[in-house]
Amino acid sequence: MNRRTSGFSFVSLTFALALALLGALSMAFADPQKPLADAGAPTATSASPSPSSSAAIVAAGGLVVPGEFASGHAPLPANAKVPLKWLPAGAFDPDTGPSVGIYPPQSLTIRFNHKLHQTKVGTKCTTCHKGATTSQSAQDHLVPTGVTCDDCHGSDHKDLAAVKAGDDLTGQCAFCHEGYKPSDGNRVAKLVLPRANMIFNHKKHADRNINCQQCHGEVQELELATRDQLPRMRGCFGCHQFPDAAAQGMAKGNCENCHITGGGTTGNKMKIAFPSGTLAPPRWMHNAAHTPDFIQRHKMVAANDSQFCANCHKEDFCTGCHDGRVRPRSIHPNDYISMHPVEARLAMQKCTSCHREQSFCLQCHQRLGITMSGPSDARNAGRFHPPKNIWSDPPRNPGHHSQEAKRNLNACVSCHIERDCVACHGGQGIGGGFNPHQGGFLASCNTQFSRNPRPCFVCHDPQDAKLNQCR
Amino acid sequence: MRTSLVELRDAAAILRASSVGSLPAPPARSARSLDSASPRARARALVLGAASAALVLGVTAPALAVEPEVTADTAAQFYEVTSPDGQRVLTRRRFTATLGVAGTDLLNKDKLRAQDPLAPELLFRARVRFDSDYGAGGEEANRQSPETLVPGFNRGPIDLMYAYVEGRRFFKGVAGFKLGRQYVTDVLGWWSFDGATVRATTPFFVAVEAYGGLEQRGGMPLSTPRFERDGIMRGSRTNFDPAAWTSFQPARVAPAFGAALESTGTSFVHTRVTYRRVYNTGASNVSMYDDGLRSPVQYDGTRVSSERIGYAFDGSLPNVGGVKGGLVYDLYVKKFSQLYLSTDVYATQKLTLSADFDHFRPTFDGDSIWNFFVSGPTNDIGGRLAYQANDHLGISGGGHVRLFNNQTESATDDTTEPRLGAPTSPNGLASGNYYPEGAFYVNGGGNVAAKYRYTRGNVSLRGAADGGGTGGRAGGDVYADHTFQNRYLVSARAGAWYWKDSLRPDRSATSFGYVLGAGYILSPRSQAMVEFEHDVNRVVGNRFRLMLWLTLAVTK
Repeated sequence: MNRRTSGFSFVSLTFALALALLGALSMAFADPQKPLADAGAPTATSASPSPSSSAAIVAAGGLVVPGEFASGHAPLPANAKVPLKWLPAGAFDPDTGPSVGIYPPQSLTIRFNHKLHQTKVGTKCTTCHKGATTSQSAQDHLVPTGVTCDDCHGSDHKDLAAVKAGDDLTGQCAFCHEGYKPSDGNRVAKLVLPRANMIFNHKKHADRNINCQQCHGEVQELELATRDQLPRMRGCFGCHQFPDAAAQGMAKGNCENCHITGGGTTGNKMKIAFPSGTLAPPRWMHNAAHTPDFIQRHKMVAANDSQFCANCHKEDFCTGCHDGRVRPRSIHPNDYISMHPVEARLAMQKCTSCHREQSFCLQCHQRLGITMSGPSDARNAGRFHPPKNIWSDPPRNPGHHSQEAKRNLNACVSCHIERDCVACHGGQGIGGGFNPHQGGFLASCNTQFSRNPRPCFVCHDPQDAKLNQCR
Repeated sequence: MRTSLVELRDAAAILRASSVGSLPAPPARSARSLDSASPRARARALVLGAASAALVLGVTAPALAVEPEVTADTAAQFYEVTSPDGQRVLTRRRFTATLGVAGTDLLNKDKLRAQDPLAPELLFRARVRFDSDYGAGGEEANRQSPETLVPGFNRGPIDLMYAYVEGRRFFKGVAGFKLGRQYVTDVLGWWSFDGATVRATTPFFVAVEAYGGLEQRGGMPLSTPRFERDGIMRGSRTNFDPAAWTSFQPARVAPAFGAALESTGTSFVHTRVTYRRVYNTGASNVSMYDDGLRSPVQYDGTRVSSERIGYAFDGSLPNVGGVKGGLVYDLYVKKFSQLYLSTDVYATQKLTLSADFDHFRPTFDGDSIWNFFVSGPTNDIGGRLAYQANDHLGISGGGHVRLFNNQTESATDDTTEPRLGAPTSPNGLASGNYYPEGAFYVNGGGNVAAKYRYTRGNVSLRGAADGGGTGGRAGGDVYADHTFQNRYLVSARAGAWYWKDSLRPDRSATSFGYVLGAGYILSPRSQAMVEFEHDVNRVVGNRFRLMLWLTLAVTK
């Protein structure tokens, strides 16, 4: 018996030495380009193999297959790219990961091989993630604590101030904790897993037989599950397409089902600013990506679905510009008040989205005397427009007021009142009779006359025979 | 430097007034500006300040089921505006304050809604605004002084921006309503009315909406003219001489109603059809001259102010791209006033290429003569690209050309007989109202923008250039803001812009400007800030503007 025992010990020792030699060789020939994990600064989403910890374990004489010991530092061996089919529903290829605003960056300092635990150990998701089917809040911590591991690994995490390692190699601190060094005292690198900035009820989804993979992807195919396995909003819309009302199913599509409400200083309804990032619509959602020039095209989004905007922005956000009383410099730069006539002549229609010409523009122009019909005390004696021979006299070449008016009538309306135009264009009794009507006017004038004859009477006497053609 | 330290002191005093509810005694050198404010304006400021303080203090006490929120924004601005000939200068000492109150979850259903998305919700929201200019002379609002009166001008108006009660998801999620002063935003524009909206969301991805009430119009109590259709100078004629300022039309109630059909629930496609009709009521001055060949006359009767129908849509495929479009047809003018189409192609995960078309033809209130002046629309064709380099940095830019084609041939009815459509111009142009020369115009321009966001602030760049026969402008600016220790906020902007005024070449100039700001964050939603702006250009020399901001928010 003793001989057999001593013979077994000799074989074991020899085998251990051989493994140590293999381990040393594998480290010596390791890819020098591969980054080494810094125990003090674990990466946010994945950790690379840690030779120092491996060496420590191997030196301790543990019975470990090197390939397996090196696993669990990254989603796939050699940190290979995770195929799209294993990522959560809604991920793109190439994948840019989930929202940093919703899921703040993590610091994973634990190596873990999900695939090994599922296929060789036989655990299920809920074996470790015990609250995954019962949690009703995204603030619940569903990542297992060290105690969960104790049953199999022989360690004791009950008192985190005095954690006891297990007897065998799998119970050693360095077996799981990246960068663990006995020389640091009984300390491990901090695992940082911030709570998600959202509302989520795991139980409600589990009760509807929505399995883990449907939202988290094929985690059982991966070693380390990183932040990349957290759900994508586009994946949520696989179900959450239903109206915010009585409709098929309970997966409603209104934002506050998942997003936290509570705004900021800019009148937001939904909470969009978090320390980790700011929420903004992705481009696939209503083509509403908030690009740096979004202000130039936001009208198309708001015109179609203002309720979509209202999910994040309260009225106050819109009134800041559209009914604003303070000049927004991001739109009107520098000494804009001196510059604005140039832009108004180019495209006055842009101005009218925020300013009403016959009140906002006209009132200021009247106060400054830049108008034909302002108060006599304020009226400017000078001429604002080009000389009469260009602006008013025939022929109507480019630069003539008639062409400017037809191209950009809004600009005229920002200074003139209708009396100014009637003085020349009036057709009966008053005015010079310069006909302002365009070709084809008769085709629509009866509609206008029947619905509102008031503007007709400004130039034409009610008894004017010409009006009979529009009656 | 025209903005003195005394003015700074004025601003601080005004800000203090808004928070403690009383106006300070004006400093000696600023006595003119504050004393010149009418007692009525001062009383308004006092009432608003007191109400603000009372609500901010009162809302914190009781533990109610309702989730209350009180917010207040205050801005004080000090600057001057000079007329183009330099003859007239307006001293602007503006004080703008808004006070908002809101209460959500009036039915105390928030907890229930976490379990049941169909749980009903009831809320209210209201905001009032006081916008005054203490630099304005009282004579501009004096209705007994026609030589100085600016019609419609009010030195310290108060308006109710919105005030409504809203219910959502009643009757098992089907019905919703809104009652009070509210906005409607769709392809017909940004509009406000006092009335009611009802909305039914069906199980078939379609919602139906109907609303009716009175359009918000200038000259009516607690109202601004911002939301009525353009083309008519309108307001309160109380105490006006009937023969004076006949172009300034009396404000009357404007009944309005509308309806919309809208898709709902889907994230990849959305569409909305909308219709709205607004009426003008009461008498309107028709003759613009009280001493002309015609006697002043009025037209009295209910008539159409505007009647339009609009349609908008968007659709997208996440790996391909998207398309947006819309149109507005003016049923009074019987023309399309707007047509637009935008197509986005998601070239890569980071790059989006787009093409845009925009057709615009101005239309006005039915009372306005300018609906008859309109001729050719403008058509914009453009291209854009956007590159999202990473979570922090985005770059975008584009260019467009604007085409305008005037009438180049006489229309049929111009030549067949001398009817209403025929030109009757006594200017010798027998061939009619068309433009055989120079009838086709091209304007153009482009812009670039970049924004870098980081946890404590952002940096943005912008450049733009637009030009045409009447002039153009080009320039750019850079802006940055940064927060220190979650408490201190600093911001800066610097820019240079050149503009060319082809109609008035003496007004062309290059402007250099910068803005420096510093603020203190009182709480996540409350902050105070001061900004100093300095701009220099050949036309006006140095121009300064001082701004003080105070934003307060109190929630349960």
